[in-house]
Amino acid sequence: MILYRGKIFDSAEQDRILAEMEPYINRTLSEKTLPAEKVIDAIARLGKEIAAGTHDTLLATLQADDPRRYKLLAAAMLSRENLELKLKTELYGTTSPDSPPAIQVKMMSLGVIFHIAAGNMDGLPAFSLAEGLLTGNINILKLPQADNGISLEIISRLIALEPALKDYIFVFDTPSSDVRAMQRMAELADGICVWGGEAAVKAVRSLAPTGAKLIEWGHKLGFCYIADPGNPECLTSELSLLAEHIAETKQLLCSSCQTIFLNTEEEADLLKFCETFLPLLEAASAKHHSGTIGERAYLTLMRHTEYLEELIGQSHNAAGEYRGTGCRLIVRSDSELELSPMMCSVLVKRLPEDQIVSVLRRKKGLLQTAGLICAPEKRDAFTELFARCGVTRITTAGNMSAYFNGEAHDGEYALRRYVRMVDIEV
Amino acid sequence: MKYRHRLFYYKNPYDTQSDNAFLNAAKENFIYQYTHCKEYGRIADGLGITADTLQTIDDIPRLPCLPTLLFKRHRLKSAPTLIRATSSGTSGNFSEIGFDIGGLLCALRMSCKIAQKRRLISLIPCHYIVMGYKPHRGNRTAVTKTALCATFLAPAINRRYILKYKNGAYSPDFEGIISALKKLDNSVFPVRFMGFPAYTFFLMKMMDEQNIHIRLKKGSKIMLGGGWKQFYAEQADKASFYRLAEKVFGIEDKDIVEFFGAVEHPILYCDCPNHHFHVPVYSRVVIRDGTTLNPVPEGTVGLVNLITPMVSATPILSVMTDDLGVLHSGSQCGCGIPTPYLEIIGRVAPTEIKTCAAGAAEALKEASK
Repeated sequence: MILYRGKIFDSAEQDRILAEMEPYINRTLSEKTLPAEKVIDAIARLGKEIAAGTHDTLLATLQADDPRRYKLLAAAMLSRENLELKLKTELYGTTSPDSPPAIQVKMMSLGVIFHIAAGNMDGLPAFSLAEGLLTGNINILKLPQADNGISLEIISRLIALEPALKDYIFVFDTPSSDVRAMQRMAELADGICVWGGEAAVKAVRSLAPTGAKLIEWGHKLGFCYIADPGNPECLTSELSLLAEHIAETKQLLCSSCQTIFLNTEEEADLLKFCETFLPLLEAASAKHHSGTIGERAYLTLMRHTEYLEELIGQSHNAAGEYRGTGCRLIVRSDSELELSPMMCSVLVKRLPEDQIVSVLRRKKGLLQTAGLICAPEKRDAFTELFARCGVTRITTAGNMSAYFNGEAHDGEYALRRYVRMVDIEV
Repeated sequence: MKYRHRLFYYKNPYDTQSDNAFLNAAKENFIYQYTHCKEYGRIADGLGITADTLQTIDDIPRLPCLPTLLFKRHRLKSAPTLIRATSSGTSGNFSEIGFDIGGLLCALRMSCKIAQKRRLISLIPCHYIVMGYKPHRGNRTAVTKTALCATFLAPAINRRYILKYKNGAYSPDFEGIISALKKLDNSVFPVRFMGFPAYTFFLMKMMDEQNIHIRLKKGSKIMLGGGWKQFYAEQADKASFYRLAEKVFGIEDKDIVEFFGAVEHPILYCDCPNHHFHVPVYSRVVIRDGTTLNPVPEGTVGLVNLITPMVSATPILSVMTDDLGVLHSGSQCGCGIPTPYLEIIGRVAPTEIKTCAAGAAEALKEASK
């Protein structure tokens, strides 16, 4: 399906549409501007509709464990307050109030942004597009293969609420294997926004025309740090929240906890911790277990396969394993931050505080969220230390994947990457 | 592999007295895999399973059960292989299973027995319409090989294929098949269809819509195999499929035969006249709980674990498919075959679980090639 000029077309018309796009885009660029206020208004109205339940049938098709949570999140992210705050925090100060009188620095949209969206969170492609619209850009969005149609519906509704947006939105469900079409879309763009790992970024670099700005949102890793693990029983409430976080995100997000680090040298502490944590994780996993037997069975199969792979590989220095129903704790004797097998299979490692810097620096390009479990009086010191290592988000353990209004993303304000500064001699 | 030989030379493929023969053959295969495939050995060691674990037929579920996903990610083998076949996954995501000569002879013996039982072997020549891939050098999928094999059950006058390889890709040619079929109306020789149910169903729907109804010679058959592929949404219920076959071709319900199999479990499951897949002596089915993987009783839905000692070159002794199914008691069927029958009710999680940014990364790997 293709969304073009506000209407849905069959994918078979792709070539015709791609051929028509350049003059159409050029006309929009020369004749029209998209005021942020119009975009905010439309998005906020959509957010209100979602909150009021107008789109419940659509949300019910999500595979999420809890569509209600998505509804609350969408309503918060799409609220007028959040959007205005986002614009203000992210773009404020980008033009200097003290410009020399001879030159005026004007902030403009990049022009055309080609979004190659990821599919790990429902509705994320639409959010990427919203950021492009807020900065006044024309947006070409290539949907991920895993998109279940919700993005297209949300976007169509947005255009219905504000018809002026139709000149600024093009959505394609082209498979990435259609290199020719991808190349054509890239050629039309001033900026290419790509969500994905190294392979994705590399592929996009090969597509991008010279001078196009690459806006990369790469793979990141999250972890939890327990600063005082000597007495895990005292931490039960925080550990329950951590278990909830792990079970809820199934460790699929960049912000999800992959490895739990304990501030200790002793392996015995790791084992003791697992004994306390396993029942909590088991309970959380039972609460968030996928609705259908098919999804549950899929996760079980994945876990079973990972387990057998570990038996085959023996490459890992496994120091112990705690298997619970629907979850698993894998104790390792090294201290590297690494991706877990996911699906409620968490790595547990030791990381004495004096080694934090050296260990985390080895993964500096991948650091994202640290969930910190720590006594209040030590919290500031650890937070500062993680920030110095290159971590870009430091939260409590339960909020590792929570969305905070006004937050930056992977160390940057997204909107700033979608604009450019134009110098004009006065 | 003397026990395997004994099992595959059973007279009646649905004998209920085969437990001992099966246990011995499974044990023999386990020992072979354990000593010839180092990965299998490590898995068995890790799970604490030895040949002594297998004391009675009830210990069969304790065999290390390898998910098909593992075969997609690792090329496991235990011996040099005669031929290799792949599952039909795309973009590198397929299993490749090697077969040894002994295993292939067993397969041949098994196919003859089962086909005979369902009266598929005939000396009367027939026209074959293959609703699947035309064999091609680059196509190593098991489904193509089995479809070709099925065209040897009765002498072939000719073979027509719906999926033809042109300019580097397969595309379906419904029109070509329809015009060929029109010429076979009232032919003196029967026609046999073999291939994907979805294509066969679409063909019949197209013909019905165009008001083309032909009468094929008595004894014509529709043989179905290879699953419904990407057409789950269009999946016809079997009753309307049979009705349409009668209307469009004059082929009766009893002449429609469905096969079920997987490259990781190359046992020929053929439906009975009541269209149920009874478990033959060469195979055992364990249905496992979707969360704990413990075996569940008959009548309960779970993951389908298929066990056979047929192949020695690859450790596919016990594999877990990504199908969900139920095992029913044989007596519930009524066709007279006493062994339990397997009903496949779907696949695990219909869409791939989406991992962080993996969607884009995966898709773009393709683009960068």
